[in-house]
Amino acid sequence: MVPLKYNVRNLRVRWKTTMMTVLGTALVVWSSCILFGLVQGLEYSLKASGEPFDLIVVRKGSSNENTGGFDAVKADDILNLPGIARDDQGRPIAAKETLNIPVAERANGTRTNVIIRGVQPASRLLRPDFKIVEGQDFQPGKGECIVSRNLSRIFKGAQIGGLLQFGEKEQYRVVGIFTAGGSAAESEVWADFTDVQRNTGRTGTVSCVQLRAASPQDLDALKKTIDGDTQFRLEAKNEIEYYASQNTSGAFLKAAGTLIAVLLTFGAMFAAANTMFAAVKSRTREIGTMRALGFSQFDILVSFLSESLILCFLGGALGVLATLPLSALTIETSNFNTFAAMTISFRFGPLVLGTAIIMTLLMGVFGGMFPAIRAVRLDVIRALREL
Amino acid sequence: MSQTASIELQGVDKEYRRDDFKIPVLTGLDLTVAEGEFLALMGPSGSGKTTLLNLIAGLDRSTRGKVIVHGQDLGDLSEAEITRWRAHNVGFIFQTYNLIPVLTAFENVELPLLLTSLSKRKRRDNVMTALKVVGLKDREHHYPRQLSGGQEQRVAIARAIVTDPYLLVADEPTGDLDRTSAGEILDLLEQLNQEFQKTILMVTHDPLAAERASRTLHLDKGQLVDDKVREARVPAAS
Repeated sequence: MVPLKYNVRNLRVRWKTTMMTVLGTALVVWSSCILFGLVQGLEYSLKASGEPFDLIVVRKGSSNENTGGFDAVKADDILNLPGIARDDQGRPIAAKETLNIPVAERANGTRTNVIIRGVQPASRLLRPDFKIVEGQDFQPGKGECIVSRNLSRIFKGAQIGGLLQFGEKEQYRVVGIFTAGGSAAESEVWADFTDVQRNTGRTGTVSCVQLRAASPQDLDALKKTIDGDTQFRLEAKNEIEYYASQNTSGAFLKAAGTLIAVLLTFGAMFAAANTMFAAVKSRTREIGTMRALGFSQFDILVSFLSESLILCFLGGALGVLATLPLSALTIETSNFNTFAAMTISFRFGPLVLGTAIIMTLLMGVFGGMFPAIRAVRLDVIRALREL
Repeated sequence: MSQTASIELQGVDKEYRRDDFKIPVLTGLDLTVAEGEFLALMGPSGSGKTTLLNLIAGLDRSTRGKVIVHGQDLGDLSEAEITRWRAHNVGFIFQTYNLIPVLTAFENVELPLLLTSLSKRKRRDNVMTALKVVGLKDREHHYPRQLSGGQEQRVAIARAIVTDPYLLVADEPTGDLDRTSAGEILDLLEQLNQEFQKTILMVTHDPLAAERASRTLHLDKGQLVDDKVREARVPAAS
């Protein structure tokens, strides 16, 4: 085999073209990593929102909470069903919740929808790692709210002490900032259930009931009871399945990301191929010499493919490293179901790393393949005459 | 002089094709080279010297006729087999040295040994021995650009002999060198022929270089026109 140092040193000798190709490859890997990092962030957020023993009760046939409103009396009946888990003080871990999605103004003056969720005390237990990270929790009946940390950075008046006003009747003073383990709640404003009901004139209805079953058997029994009761005409959805079905944005982002990544990879393949073609051209006599010395066509093929792979690996590694500082990146997009603002935090996980590795390999192998084949097919005698 | 046939060419023709035209380069060539001979190939440009060298070295194939080197009919070998055969039996010395610029003298000489199963330590021993033979033991870490033309050619000779091949082929080995360096290279080739009994085929335009050979062949228009042997130059059989 041709020693690898031959390739490494050649890359070092023509460092300018090497740098250009490495930077190009890095840029492609970096941009694709960001895209897939956001897809993974969205998937994580929806996954984190679902707990295995949690049920979300909506009106039968409705696809989400926003379109699933039902009578509050039925909701009270559900809260008293047996089999619901209890907190330290023996209260059922179940909450009526109501959703309003008004238009709000961003800090930059543009406007978009935002989810205002009216919650009950148990709502906090039903979200993973719910935490007030700044200020304090709201007090019912005082027109206060708490805002997720992500939204507090986006919306005007969403910082502690600010006033969130929607229309003439609905306004909330921000008293606290919260996080909720990267779940969907991190794209919401929370206020007291009764306050939101009153402000929106929806007294007597709820958007959904969220509850936690005490055991797997209770989970099945509760689901059967709620789904089967003809009076309720409600549907208890397993939270994990419910949030998975809400991931239309994720599917779109993933499809768009894959398409963009494929196109970028093709572009980078041509860049790598161009560099490698130039390498083969400038080293024709060296190739002829090595063939004369007894190196086989396979040896030459492997040598030039390795060089292309090293080149793309350097770019891939640089692209991945450049992605790491973005782990704190959070972007705002729209939830395709509620059309409300949704924040997605970048996540560097297996999908991102896998994408980077696959792209790097594809660029290295296909970018290097044709130049390597050209090197292999060189006529030894002609190659030796090359200046 | 050993009379064992080292190289035998029987009725060798070589033609190249350019579009629809056949261009004959060698015609009906018969040649026998004895083991341990130092043969100079001379002739005007286009006479077929380098083509003949390439046929014997296994870089090219005859259109007709047989090329037998050390008992092996090269026409019987596949592309992969002839590549392996070259690695074990032929050492190449080129006019422009053809060293790999990014490898040191040591690494350049080691290159053909990477095709063998020798251990790293054994490879190192062989490389240092070859560099010692050419007088460049102290230049092992130098890159080609750090060496003079004569030194580069000596590294190339070390690379050619490091696998202890049966045959050395040299295409204008002094063509790019000044008179002094050329003399040193020819001394070295003579030494390899006489002390190490290497069979050497050398293409040259230089009559002074050809005088160092034990036998000189003149080619013209693809045919042998003269064959001179200088007995005194031929090494004794080992």
